[in-house]
Amino acid sequence: MKRRTLLKHGGTATIVGLAGCTGGGSGGQETTTDETATTGETTTEATATETTEETETTTEASLSGTLKVATYSSFVDAPSSSPGGWLKQEFENRHPDVTVKYETPENEVNHYIQQAAQGVSIDTDVYVGMNVDHLIRIDEKLGQKSLFAPVADRLSHYGHVKDGLNFDPQQRAVPYDTGYISLVYDESKIQKQPETFQDLLKERYSGDLIVQNAKTAATGRAFLLWTVNTLGEDQYLDYWQKLKENGIKMLGSWSDAYTAYENGEAPMVVSYSTDQVYAHRQDKDLTKHRVGFLNDQGYANPEGMAKFAGTDKPELAEAFMDFMLSKQAQKQIAQLNVQYPATDWAPLGAEFKKYAKEPANPVTFTYEELQGNLDGWVDSWARQIAGGR
Amino acid sequence: MTREEAGTEGETTTERTGATRWLGPTAPTRWLERHAITLLGVATALVLAVVFYYPVLTVFADAVRVGGAWTVEVVRDVLTDPFYFGVLAPIFGGEFGAISELAAESPLGLFGFTAYQALLSTIASVLLGLPGAYVLSRYEFPGRRTLRSLTILPFVLPSIMVAIGFVAFFGTNGPLNAVLTALGLGPVNLLFTLEAIVVAHAFYNAPLVARVTTAAWESVDARMVETARSLGANPWYAFRTVLAPQLLPAVLTGALLTFVFTFMSFPIVLALGGFQLATVEVWVYSLVQELEYAEAATLAVAETVVSLALTYAYLRYEARESGGGRAANPPPRKRLLPENPSPLAALERVGVAAYAAVVAVVFVGPIASMVAESVTGPSGFTLQYYEFLVQRQVEGASFQTKPGVAVRNSLVFGVATLLVALPMGVTVSVLTARGGRGTRLADAAAMAPLAVSGVVVGLGMLRGLVFGVELWGHRLQVTGPVAIVAAHGVAAYPFVVRNVAPLLGGVDRSVVESARALGATRVRALLDVELPLVASGVAAGAAFAFAISIGEFDSTVILATGSSSYTMPVAVERYIGNRTLGPATAMGTVLLAVTSLSFVVVDRLGGRWEA
Repeated sequence: MKRRTLLKHGGTATIVGLAGCTGGGSGGQETTTDETATTGETTTEATATETTEETETTTEASLSGTLKVATYSSFVDAPSSSPGGWLKQEFENRHPDVTVKYETPENEVNHYIQQAAQGVSIDTDVYVGMNVDHLIRIDEKLGQKSLFAPVADRLSHYGHVKDGLNFDPQQRAVPYDTGYISLVYDESKIQKQPETFQDLLKERYSGDLIVQNAKTAATGRAFLLWTVNTLGEDQYLDYWQKLKENGIKMLGSWSDAYTAYENGEAPMVVSYSTDQVYAHRQDKDLTKHRVGFLNDQGYANPEGMAKFAGTDKPELAEAFMDFMLSKQAQKQIAQLNVQYPATDWAPLGAEFKKYAKEPANPVTFTYEELQGNLDGWVDSWARQIAGGR
Repeated sequence: MTREEAGTEGETTTERTGATRWLGPTAPTRWLERHAITLLGVATALVLAVVFYYPVLTVFADAVRVGGAWTVEVVRDVLTDPFYFGVLAPIFGGEFGAISELAAESPLGLFGFTAYQALLSTIASVLLGLPGAYVLSRYEFPGRRTLRSLTILPFVLPSIMVAIGFVAFFGTNGPLNAVLTALGLGPVNLLFTLEAIVVAHAFYNAPLVARVTTAAWESVDARMVETARSLGANPWYAFRTVLAPQLLPAVLTGALLTFVFTFMSFPIVLALGGFQLATVEVWVYSLVQELEYAEAATLAVAETVVSLALTYAYLRYEARESGGGRAANPPPRKRLLPENPSPLAALERVGVAAYAAVVAVVFVGPIASMVAESVTGPSGFTLQYYEFLVQRQVEGASFQTKPGVAVRNSLVFGVATLLVALPMGVTVSVLTARGGRGTRLADAAAMAPLAVSGVVVGLGMLRGLVFGVELWGHRLQVTGPVAIVAAHGVAAYPFVVRNVAPLLGGVDRSVVESARALGATRVRALLDVELPLVASGVAAGAAFAFAISIGEFDSTVILATGSSSYTMPVAVERYIGNRTLGPATAMGTVLLAVTSLSFVVVDRLGGRWEA
């Protein structure tokens, strides 16, 4: 067992070096790592052994000290389950000289953007839990100052990240999981589920849907972007006006909205397509937690991690990020965070396979498509909806 | 012994012991005593400057300083935007032609709508709070003191808990609708409407109105009413001309505070109203999230101008009204079962019973629903959420939130805040108790912590205190428990002032002057003569200071960054799980139990001093 871990480390170290040489080409790299992954435990073992001894010792020696990881609070402190504790423990087991320290500032990424804007030095090493909106905000607000450093090429498992999920053209943010925004509805109240966005405007669904405020909730924003993506920039505001006239309820956070849904305030809510995984774990009536996609789509909302540009422990930060993409961590993150893994190699359990629903056509906006548009779209939408009118 | 007798006796003893003490102190102590008020005033100003004015002004500066250059462009854009100001926008912009068109389309704008809902909320709070003050101050019944202590409870409940309780109780499938349906009154849809916001605001603020008014009602001079009656005035006339003027300042204090709070409301609006009913503060919050500081700061300044103008107007009114010397001499309390049954007395009791029913629906219902949620799992009754709390306390990792630590921090910060806010509040009350227009301005400036948006204060603290200031090559940062207590003290002392100052203004000046003539220092006269006379106000202020500290969320979260200084409301927020509110409601119930108990204790201790 011990030998097996040693071998894996050897393999990892080799690939890190290799990736560093090949540079950005993710296509070619993907096949290399894929091979190592599938065959690594049998055939590559012999070849890896030769390099193991020296690389292993150097890796272990260089990896020591405290790694400061910033994230959102429920990633480490959720009462249901959260991956933070497992990740810390497992990573520290693998690297006995390393201590992982979590930081959970209340305003999340904004905390660091503000610090950087004011010229305060940041001694945090890794950020876990950002999305494409954050990146756009960082680039808009900080301009030439870089908060995060490009890192993807230095991660041996990067090739396993699913193609459609990469959201940072500069390869600073590396996706580690993703959610698909969908509808969740109560089958006993909704005889015929809405299948398209136009369906939602029908009289029969009047007052039936709870959505979140796109200005303050990630799910609400994703749902808004989904309507822009599907209906187009010229149509979405009209569509929302009609939705409003059809009596949608719009609450501040996902939690507010979901509580209202569970209390029966409306039979449909915007949520995640992994909803049934939870419902099943809590022994809830699954007919009240049906997942519905509109236009056979779901809006993908990948979560990423990045290395702070100013870190003085780049190798340690990279090792942690690579660990987050490892097979085992991907499985744990998916199950504990109840999101889809961002990679193609996580061995998901039967529960996940049975209850999590993946849309036929995942859609999402790229960084380039959002850049320069996002604020305008959201602001026009907010003015259309708000102010007691 | 009746309360009245106890009061008079207490007064004379303090005066007597005071007289002997005035001869005592040695020279240095006397110097300290003579300058105590000045020293406290300077200390108060310093704390305010560091924890409030400096941080908030750095944020406000963003309105006129964009990208390193001074500009009024953002301010002009915001002021002339009809979305924000409705028909006022073209007036601000000087384009009078557009007024009629806007008046038809969106006359209110975001500010107008915000003021409108605040006005409705204030009316509801006063209507709901006044009968409470009447019952609490004019009736004697078992548990009255405890009930009075608990009136402050809604004030500290985290908005998330209130929202959970409201959604559960007033919801489509909630107990209220069950009762209404059983009575054949059909289900009503109360959530996600303007009405829901107004009721929730009344839930928070009616107790405030009741509390402040109760304190005033308990220190009215009944002899004046008796004199009026003996001169032939009927009860209603006596009430209107003698009693009402004594109560009005307190009622208006409650109304003013309610308006200011509900004008800047945001978590309740988000959770119970829906984004369609967004207020200015909701907008400021989302602009801050998007790091759009210039626009956010401009809106926040506009909000502050409205609140401060109201506060200033009120303070001028208060100064005109107070000053008539009077001694606390409340009339005896009535019993719930009238001693001399008469139709009028019976009618009044029916009114009290009806009021109790309303209180049960608006206050007890949501709180009980929240507690019920904490013991209800997907399959009925469960203690699993409390087990979670115990388990987290025992096994929780260093980076996780432990319930025991949260309880301890809340109590320690609460007591420390009390010790900071009481001297600050009393000092400001004394310094502004009399004087001209300048004093009113200073008083308004001292009230500013109430009138500035919580989002802005939080942001200012983050940028000014947590990140620190570069001074002579060193970065000075203010964080941790001391900063939290200072911030809580700044947030809390205006309540002490608003409870103490009006009563202090009403104290008979001749009593103070004779004490001074006998050689008492200013602070000695204050401690031995004035404060005992306004004890009910001081006790109410102390309860508020404690409550503010327990319930405070924004600055606690920001100043406790990366440390174990989290409090109970913070723990409630952090225990909201994906798809389960169970642990959060369990923690909320702990908060409820701990704070209820502390209020009873704080009130009893304050009450002991009062008697």
